[in-house]
Amino acid sequence: MAEPILQVRGLVKHYPLTTGVLFRKQVGAVRAVDGVDFDLARGETLGIVGESGCGKSTVARMLVNLEKPTAGEIRYKGEDITRLSGKALKAVRRNIQMVFQDPYTSLNPRMTVGDIIGEAYDIHPEVAPRGDRRRRVRELLDVVGLNPEYVNRYPHQFSGGQRQRIGIARGLALRPEIIVADEPVSALDVSVQAQVINLMGRLQDEFGLSYVFIAHDLSIVRHISDRVAVMYLGRIVETGSHTEIYDHPTHPYTQALLSAVPVPDPEAREHRERIILAGDVPSPANIPSGCRFRTRCWKARERCALEVPPLAVPAGFRDATGPVAHDSACHFAEAKQVVPPEADGAESGRGR
Amino acid sequence: MPEQPYEPERAMAGTGMGGQMDLAASEATSLEKTPAGPEGTGPEGTGAEDKARSLWSDAWRDLRRNPVFLVSSLVICFLVVISLWPSLIASGNPLACDLAKAQEGSQPGHPFGFNGQGCDVYTRTVHGARTSVTVGVCATLGVALLGSVLGGLAGFFGGAWDGFLSRITDVFFAIPVVLGGLVLLSVVTGNSLWPVVGFMVLLGWPQISRIARGAVITAKHNDYVLAARALGASPSRLLLRHIAPNAVAPVIVVATIALGTYIALEATLSYLGVGLKPPSVSWGIDISAASPYVRNAPHALLWPSGALAVTVLAFIMLGDAVRDALDPKLR
Amino acid sequence: MLLDVRDLHVEFHTREGVAKAVNGVNYRVDAGETLAVLGESGSGKSVTAQAVMGILDMPPGRITRGQVLFEGRDLLKLKEDERRRVRGAEMAMIFQDALSSLNPVLTVGDQLAEMFTVHRGMSRKDARARAVELMDRVRIPAAGQRVKQYPHQFSGGMRQRIMIAMAMALEPKLIIADEPTTALDVTVQAQVMDLLAELQREYRMGLILITHDLGVVADVADRIAVMYAGRIVETAPVHDLYKAPAHPYTRGLLDSVPRLDHKGRELYAIKGLPPSLLHIPSGCPFHPRCPMVRDVCRTDVPPLYEVTGAPAGRGSACHFWRECLHG
Repeated sequence: MAEPILQVRGLVKHYPLTTGVLFRKQVGAVRAVDGVDFDLARGETLGIVGESGCGKSTVARMLVNLEKPTAGEIRYKGEDITRLSGKALKAVRRNIQMVFQDPYTSLNPRMTVGDIIGEAYDIHPEVAPRGDRRRRVRELLDVVGLNPEYVNRYPHQFSGGQRQRIGIARGLALRPEIIVADEPVSALDVSVQAQVINLMGRLQDEFGLSYVFIAHDLSIVRHISDRVAVMYLGRIVETGSHTEIYDHPTHPYTQALLSAVPVPDPEAREHRERIILAGDVPSPANIPSGCRFRTRCWKARERCALEVPPLAVPAGFRDATGPVAHDSACHFAEAKQVVPPEADGAESGRGR
Repeated sequence: MPEQPYEPERAMAGTGMGGQMDLAASEATSLEKTPAGPEGTGPEGTGAEDKARSLWSDAWRDLRRNPVFLVSSLVICFLVVISLWPSLIASGNPLACDLAKAQEGSQPGHPFGFNGQGCDVYTRTVHGARTSVTVGVCATLGVALLGSVLGGLAGFFGGAWDGFLSRITDVFFAIPVVLGGLVLLSVVTGNSLWPVVGFMVLLGWPQISRIARGAVITAKHNDYVLAARALGASPSRLLLRHIAPNAVAPVIVVATIALGTYIALEATLSYLGVGLKPPSVSWGIDISAASPYVRNAPHALLWPSGALAVTVLAFIMLGDAVRDALDPKLR
Repeated sequence: MLLDVRDLHVEFHTREGVAKAVNGVNYRVDAGETLAVLGESGSGKSVTAQAVMGILDMPPGRITRGQVLFEGRDLLKLKEDERRRVRGAEMAMIFQDALSSLNPVLTVGDQLAEMFTVHRGMSRKDARARAVELMDRVRIPAAGQRVKQYPHQFSGGMRQRIMIAMAMALEPKLIIADEPTTALDVTVQAQVMDLLAELQREYRMGLILITHDLGVVADVADRIAVMYAGRIVETAPVHDLYKAPAHPYTRGLLDSVPRLDHKGRELYAIKGLPPSLLHIPSGCPFHPRCPMVRDVCRTDVPPLYEVTGAPAGRGSACHFWRECLHG
């Protein structure tokens, strides 16, 4: 792998829980993110997947410096950006931009599209000379597939998918190297989701972007990610390449997540084993001891309550070669095929 | 069976996923680069597309064509003119009264009749505009500025400053306005309206401050503010470009409604003898003076209170028009 | 025949004009059958359901034409108080957002018990006992204790179970579930869907499942009706629809869903956007986005053709359904 553009080490975000009005006393903490490590290579897409409350959005916000981590490092080209402030922080921000989930609240309703995208140049005037900004904004609109004539319109005049394109144009304005996309298509209609995903793929090739793509939906991540990290309760429980995660998952949570994704194919429901997890995700203010997944895991044994499983290649697969040997934080990891192998016939049968 | 509250977007949106359906997205018929559709909304002049537009310039274009705005600003201009030069339309002396004509009705040269002191109601109503309009406008401006700045900052920065300010507003809310006026204004000597305005600002700002604080807190939590922060926007840019325009509407509404109460409050204070003293002329003084005789001489009450009502209405309409113009969704 | 919706038309009067949300919808649901109504936002699928339930806000909504026959009675002709008796007791609805559908200041037990005290005239004590029973039935652990808790003390999945319990309380003949699992996490989605399907089988209820998610539908539905721009564009038994769609919109939707079992980066995307209900295109409403559009599509509104050679009751509103089916 090439030199990573972004290295995240031991990232932690705790929100203190306090009681008392006058004398605040800390009675605990919501451990939203509880020790996360990953690398992002140049030009790569890392998908971070997890259910609500797993801390994936908090990770995203820390990456773009909207939240300060409680502990840990985020190194951009070797420099820890969590400690930066003032000019140096502003310079780094140029290179790491974000696309938000909700296209309805992430655009200021009282600004024109031109102002929304052009604001980047007001904040970072060194990027584009004054006279050139207008042209650049139009260019960006064109790049994301919108009519450049729309610069003077307001967000409410656009549909959800178009607004998300505006959000992407804003993220691109400063020519960043990394884009952190926090569930960029989950608020969109199915037919529009595909358009936006394809656009993001095209932009990546065109501008050599690196993506951190956050989603709750494993099937969308599959289409865009090179590598995938599965999060549960503030930690990454399994990470690996595309094939490793989808075809050879070894962590029970990943297996359950994969098996729970509804496949739009009634034939598949007959020969697909479905793992239905019991119960709900525990509160991040009260994380189970040992392995945090053990309360919902069908394999849990005594050891799971006592020992925290490290995120590493599990002992059983240490000598194995091939896609099963990847990081998985489980004491009893075993390979299991959950996703039906790709049926070539089914796909080609339906012409486009 | 619990039923959902009605939200038009929701009712019509098929899925709740997007949360709303854009009827207005209609003109964007296709994602492909079609030029603006034939039903393109509003100000789609030819060649106008090249000029950069902003919220404020769009609001101004909008206002210039809004009849409500035009009528209300005409009324307000007229009021300002007669406040500055009352003798333009009323050459008489408002203090020249003839008790012999007390409570008499309309007669040639005195279209509004006479009040209880035998003064010409028309002249007094015209001359009273200066005091009333000055008090109303200055008190409202002062309250709105002070209240929205303090409340806005409290909402934006939060923390200790917010806590401190909230307690202060509580204290001011606890002071009864009339009693406070009696105490504070009784120490003022002289017959100027500025102490009255100052007193109103002092007691009035907490109301606006609370509203501004709430509006700012609501606006602050929107993703677009986060997005601007992620771009590296400074706090002042966040406040002025992103939060203030989205928080200003409720402040405008409350402030324009409050304008009327300030004019009435000036009357109350004058009536109690702590506001303006009799040689001054104001609608408030005349309204309170005429109210005991409303059965015998209703005209003496009607004209100044009518003038007051028209003034307040004009400002409320102006506020409404400005608020609507600042909301692109209503265009 | 439990429910028979005939030629339903609904309009909304908005500031921008008249939005035609539902334009001649026909569907039927038998007892014990699950009909999935599939569509994107603005397709009219929720509005249709609201009209069937009688909870459509009028104004601004207006039912301009059509019949809603429930066991042969036209619900649209009933008086409001008769209608209210049908609602809850004979048909019930489950919403997407369980948190806002529950009253935050009452315990869930009280809200469940209210169903029995109001509709069945039970005593408070009996009603409370039934509430616990119901919570047990939807597999809420420790129902006896949790009955005294408030909605915010439950997780999203548990709240949706309570909504299901509430809808089930009076053992209605028909349940309409409007995106019941959209707001839930995938692992919880599966639990809730399974529960709903199980209860439906057990009580032989009719179930209308409104969703935008092709995956959820595949797992539980018997029949599917695909809606677009306020019309049903295709209806078919679930297997046939997925195997060989007979309408280009359905085909496009199926192809554009990201799938776990298909890799590959480029997703098929239907071009363009769903139409505005204020300006529904002439002819076939899908024609501006259709890959196989011809001249006739721009002028003639396709009726719901019967798809011959397929199991009975299969229909497609495409002039060229044959090509689509075999293409």
